[in-house]
Order: sequence, then C-alpha cells, then structure tokens
Amino acid sequence: MRAGRARSVRILSGIVAAGLLAAACGGGKSGSSGNNVSAQQALIIARSMDINSLDPQRAYCDTCQIYLTAVYETLLGLDPKDNKTLVPRLATKWSSNSAQTEFTFTLNPKAKFADGKPVTSADVKFSWERLKGLAGSASYLASGIASIATPDARTVVATMTQPNSAFLAQVNASYMGVVEQSVAEAKGATTAAATDKAEKWFLANSAGSGPFTLASYKSGQEVRLKRNAAYWGTKAAFPEVVMKQTADAVTQRQQLEQGAVDIAMQLSTDVAKNMNAKNVTVRKVPSFNYVYLALSPGVKGGEALTPDVRKAIRLALDYKGLLDVTVGGAGRSQPSPIPNGFLGTDGLAPPARDVAQAKRLLAQAGVTKLSLSATYPTLNVYGVDFSTAMQKVQTDLKAVGIELKLNPVEISVWASKIGTDGIPVTALYFAPDHTDPSQYVQYFGLMPGSQWQTWTKAPARPQENQLLNQAFAAKSVNERGALYKQLAQAMMDDGVIIPLVNPDLYLAARSDIKGMHYSACCNLDLSQLSRG
Amino acid sequence: MRRYVLRRVAIMPLLLLGIVTMVFAVTRLTPANPLVTIVGERNLGNRVVVDAAKRRWGLDRSVPVQYERYVANLTRGDLGTSFRTRQSVGRDLSDRLPATLELTLAALVFGLVSGVGLGIVAARRRDGWIDHLSRLFALVGSSMPAFWAGLLLLYVFYSRLGWLPGPGRLDPRAVTPLRRTGFYTVDSLLAGDWNTFWASVRHLAMPAFVLGWGITGIVSRLTRASLLDELGADYVRTARAMGISERRVVAGHALPNALLPTITIAGFSFAFLITGAVLVETVFSWNGVGSYAVDAARSLDYPAIMGVSLLGGIAFLLTNLLTDLTYALIDPRIRLS
Repeated sequence: MRAGRARSVRILSGIVAAGLLAAACGGGKSGSSGNNVSAQQALIIARSMDINSLDPQRAYCDTCQIYLTAVYETLLGLDPKDNKTLVPRLATKWSSNSAQTEFTFTLNPKAKFADGKPVTSADVKFSWERLKGLAGSASYLASGIASIATPDARTVVATMTQPNSAFLAQVNASYMGVVEQSVAEAKGATTAAATDKAEKWFLANSAGSGPFTLASYKSGQEVRLKRNAAYWGTKAAFPEVVMKQTADAVTQRQQLEQGAVDIAMQLSTDVAKNMNAKNVTVRKVPSFNYVYLALSPGVKGGEALTPDVRKAIRLALDYKGLLDVTVGGAGRSQPSPIPNGFLGTDGLAPPARDVAQAKRLLAQAGVTKLSLSATYPTLNVYGVDFSTAMQKVQTDLKAVGIELKLNPVEISVWASKIGTDGIPVTALYFAPDHTDPSQYVQYFGLMPGSQWQTWTKAPARPQENQLLNQAFAAKSVNERGALYKQLAQAMMDDGVIIPLVNPDLYLAARSDIKGMHYSACCNLDLSQLSRG
Repeated sequence: MRRYVLRRVAIMPLLLLGIVTMVFAVTRLTPANPLVTIVGERNLGNRVVVDAAKRRWGLDRSVPVQYERYVANLTRGDLGTSFRTRQSVGRDLSDRLPATLELTLAALVFGLVSGVGLGIVAARRRDGWIDHLSRLFALVGSSMPAFWAGLLLLYVFYSRLGWLPGPGRLDPRAVTPLRRTGFYTVDSLLAGDWNTFWASVRHLAMPAFVLGWGITGIVSRLTRASLLDELGADYVRTARAMGISERRVVAGHALPNALLPTITIAGFSFAFLITGAVLVETVFSWNGVGSYAVDAARSLDYPAIMGVSLLGGIAFLLTNLLTDLTYALIDPRIRLS
C-alpha cells in the first residue's frame, strides 16, 4: 500500500512538473492589464484579421488599411461623404504642374508626431523612398516617383518618371502614410530592402502622427490602439480601440448582439439578415469590392476561348441569379473591371443575360461542344463563397452547351498553377487601394506585361497602354473620365475579365456608435467614431 | 532505468532530424506557391516585389541550400521567421503553446476522470440503464467530429441559451491577466482576480468538453472492460470471501489493476488531443498552436509548418517516453531496458 502511495506521489509529481514546464514556456511577459482604460470605454471591433505586417511600408491588407489610417497619416485624405473628394490631412495645399509630372505639397505646420516632434518634408521623403525601396506589396504606389525634393521643412516636391494624374489619389492610399524618420532609423529602418531591419520593431511600436498609437499587438488575437494624447488635430473620441480576431461572420454577429463587441463589418448577407438584436444598427452600403471570372485564351486548355466564345460566356451568365445565390441579392452587377462609382463608369450598360445570342455566337464560332476546366481558390471574401459562385457559373454555362469542370484548390496551389501552366478559367477578387481607376487598367488591361495579360497570355493590346498614358497626362477630370470610359469599354471588349458580383458591405454596430463610414482608401477611419 | 531514459533521449535529435527532413521535403515538393502569402496574389506578377520577397526569405536559393541553412539555424535554436506573422516562429509557438496546453490538459483531465468514473459505474451496474447510457455517451463522443460537436454546442449553449460564453479564451472586453504562465486560469489565480478566473474557466468548459469527449468514450469502455475482467479474477473472489467491503474491493484491489491499459491510452490520448485541438481551436477561436498550424498549412508558411511539426514531434516523443516510464512505475513486472 505504501509503495502504491509512493507511486501515486511520483505520478502526481510528474504532472506538477509538466505544469511547471508549461509555465516555463509561458515566459514572463506582461499582458495588456497595464492599461488603465475601462473595458467599457474602449471600442471593440470584431474582425477576421489578415494582418501581414504593421510596418507602414511593408503592410498590405484590409485590416492594415484600418490600422495605418489610424496611426500613420497621409498627406491627403478622402472625404468620407462621397469617397471622391480629396481633403487635407498632413498637407494643407497641393498642386501639380500641367504635365502631371511634378506634385508639390505644403505640410501643415501644426502637424506633429506622437512624441511631439514636427512632421517635416524629410519624413515624407524618407517614408515614400522607403516604401519604394523595400519593394513590398504596396511599393507600386511609389514606384513612379523619380525623385523627391524638400526645398524646406514644409514643402515636398515629388517628380514622376512619367505623367501620372493618379498620383494625388495614390497619396491618399493608407500605405503612403508618413513615419517619423529619426525614430524609425534608430530602430533599423532604411530605404533599402537589403539593409532594413525595422519590421519586428514595428510589430510592437509605432512612429506616426495619427490620432492613435499602437499599444500592443498579439498575432492572431488582437491589435490594441490607444488615443494619441498629443494629437495635433481633433482628438479621437475613444481612448482605446481594440480589434479582436473573430474568424467567422456568425460569431461576429453573436458577439455584436450580446454587446461583447461594438462593431462587426464582415457580415455576410444571410448572417446580417438574421440579426434581430434591439441595440444593433445594420447599414448596407455599396462597396468597390468585387469577385470576377477570368478567361485565359492563351493557356493550355483555353485555346477555344476565342473573342466570340468569351463574349458568349459573358452573355450566358445570369448576373441577377449570381447576386441572389452568392449574396442574397445584396449587391450589384458590374459591367467593367473598373467598379461602379469610379471615374469612367457612368453610363456603361449593365451586363445582361442573353442565352439565344450566346448560342448564336457559339454556333458562329463553330463550337458545338465545349469543355473547360475552372481552377479557383477556395475563398470566401466579401461574403461571396467562390464555390457557390462557380457552381452557378457552371449551371449558366451548361445552358448554352459549355461544360465547366470545377476544381477548387487552396490559394497557394492556385498561385503556383497560374504562375506556371496558367488556368483556362478561374475566379478571383479585387478591392481598391485608392480612388483612381488606373489601378484597374494596370492590373486587368491587356497592356503588354500587365498582370492579367501575363496570366491569360491573351494578345497584348498596346492601344490600351496609349489610352492609359493619355489619361495619366490628361489635365481635366472630364478628359480623364472620357479616357477611362474608353478603357473600361476596351476591357469589356477584351472579355478576359468578367465581373460576377459587386457585393454590398454591411456596417453593423451597436446603436450608440456614431460616425461609421466605409472608405475607398482606408476601409474604416477609427478617428471618426464616437459613442453617444 | 536511467540508462534506458538516456538512450531514449539521446536518440531524439536523430528522430527530430528525420521529421524535419521529411516535412521539409514534403512542403517543398508540394505544387504550391508560398509567395502568395508573402506578397499577395495581386503582386505575383510584379517582378520587383517578387524578387525582393524571394531574396528576403531565402527562396531564391536552391532547395538543398535552403535545407542546409534551416538545419544550421535550428542547431542555434532559430526556427526562422513566419511568412505570415513576421515574428520568429519560436516566439509564435511560445506565445500560443500555453493556450493549447491549458485546453488539452483540461480536456485530458475531463476525459480521464469522466471516462474512469463512467467505466466504474458501468462495470458495477453491468447491463443496467446507466451502462447503456454511458455506452451511448461514449459512442457519440468517439464518433461525432469535434468541429461538428463544437458548432452544435456553441449554437445551443452560447447562441440560444446563453449559458456559456462564446469563442475565445476570454470575453472580447475582458482584460487578459498579467502573463506569468500563459494559462489564463493560473495567471488570474496568481493575480487574485477571481472574476477573470471564473470567466476563463467558463470559456474553457465547452472546448475542453468537446476535445475530451472522445477520450471519455474510449476510457470509459476500456475501464469497464478491464474492471469486469478484474472483478471476475480469483484475487477479487478471495478478497470478497475475506469480507472486505465491495467499495474497497473495487477501489483498492480491482481498479488499480484495471487502470493499467487506461494509462497507456492516456499517453496516446494526449497525442490525440494535440491533433484534435487543431479543429477545436479553430471552431472556438482559441489562439493556440492548433489554429496556428491550420493557418500555417493553408498559407504554406514554410517556417511555421516546420516549427509546428518539430513541436509536434517533440510532444509525441516525450509523451511516448513518459507513458513507458509511467507504465513501468505502475506495474513492477515491467522492466525497461
């Protein structure tokens, strides 16, 4: 019996030792209990976070847009009321030369970083040169900058490599935010990818001039921001904002209904429609995000996708039905790869189904029986489940005699396949980084070497490049609008990119939350929010 | 015994190298592109961005060179930097391991205690209604997928009834306890914060139940069968003939012998729980190693996949060793050599 007890003691000791080992694994870092802001005062946002960095010149994701807008200010902002008008932020004045090659910004003398030091033209130069030099995902925004002059501490003159009328719109992208050079450099930041060592520091600290600063970040768990007490503009209403990782829409809704969180803005239609809590307000707003079908005539298996066949596929699709099955009708059909509401899209005819015409076109093309393979990533973005959307496409194409074999894969497998063999039929999504239509033309247009010209291997259309260059050099908004409309029509005629669904966005919040707007450049501006 | 342990420990690095080599080869042979995680699908055609990313993450080098560098770094304790979180994998794992351990230990305790308890009751009331009920409970627990059970329980007890809290280790508005062990239950106790302790226990209840349910099923059936065997043995008859009370016969004589196979199962159960935690953590937004593994696999985050595999390998090797040692301690007939 004694021996039995001794054994039990040894087993128990083992369990305790295992516990101590686990405790040792835990380390000794402090949690977030150091803050003295009551949890009720803080704004809590439930979000499926896709953060890939908090370094302002390396980050590139939807949640990053919210974070960067709150912490790092850009020279220009976007009026939340119309998502079009540029408004001052760090810059009070801005102008460009008539050739659209030189842009001059005057900084607000009141602007200062969170540590009280003034925001200078040198900080802007450093930030933009770092964005370009690190060659991160958002570096394309600064890639057209040839040089940046700083004649004085308040003036920034950016010279482009070629005319770029989109630059002012690009400047309002959250990725063009300004970092405090002296602080960043002290932590290893440089303007060259080979020497920069600051990314890890930015995961726990910030060096911006925005209304918030980074309090803490726990990967996969939360981002905690605290109000910048020394903010030079109108101070944010909330002393603390916490974005909490909440992977799925149903949980976001449940937490919102129960008051555990204040905001959820990734609700799908079916989830949002079932919302029945008294103290929650749900607003449906148009978004600029969309899901599209891409046809690649130049890749193996896509040889039959001639212009007529592509046009037939476009006519075969039931756009209203697609909206219904994917987002319960909460959205719009979109005629061109430049989304509704952007410059150049007014007056474009919405896509419509015409099965008879589609069949005629297929007959003209000599296509009697066509079998295609669609490989697409297994994603669910903006409430659109790709498999559901592609099943509907499959059904629609069957009605005109096209058999579509569906092959859903993980995004990394998709990326490998499209970058090597190519994919005849696929689906993907797009959300804007800024408010200029050029980003769509550069990505979707069949200009030589563009992303989708490369992937589809469709014959290049140099005339689209010419039109884009004209738009970049255009002096008036009307002139640019007319050129972008031509480009939108040209991309529709190319027929390699067919927008399927432009879903609405649900902004769901506790009823006492005010000032919630969807922004085309920045997703959600936390400084505009208040309770009351 | 010491020599046996030393030999087992000495062979571990070789086994771990085997695991590393195999996982490294599998991830590199998978026809998938990890750059999509690093630069995003929109930049896959941007040569400047892609080249810079390849250089930064060492993907511009040949696979043998990548392997050589990885193993060399590993010997220095460097598990690399995650493509996704941009933090060292070692730190990612140490941040998340306590969450997984807290969950799996709670599930293990629940599974073993309830399994043994049900097994004893079922054996003593053989073919009675409680035996049938425990069999049904065991059957459902071992056959229902953990993710489904998790979703179902969340819907009933959180969404509909509101009896238990929702996903996560604490409510979104709660302030996490000062980190000492990483176990919220322990840290809140150490801080004397009873409210947070109670909240963390309540948050632990559903995922631990879901994860431990399968163990309950296996352990209860095993305990029942072993105990029935023991209760029919000669020494039990002798004990009864000597007038020893039935409670002492069961608890003091038959049960210790009946628990031997259960201990073996407990060792394997830990491994089962670690793998099961992958799904349960995802369903319950539990920020542990399981959900980290899922994210790493989905995004082909090479360093994170390697780190999780290595951690899993270490856990399995240690668990097996611990099981063998425990077995020898419990049963003197077993000699380790």
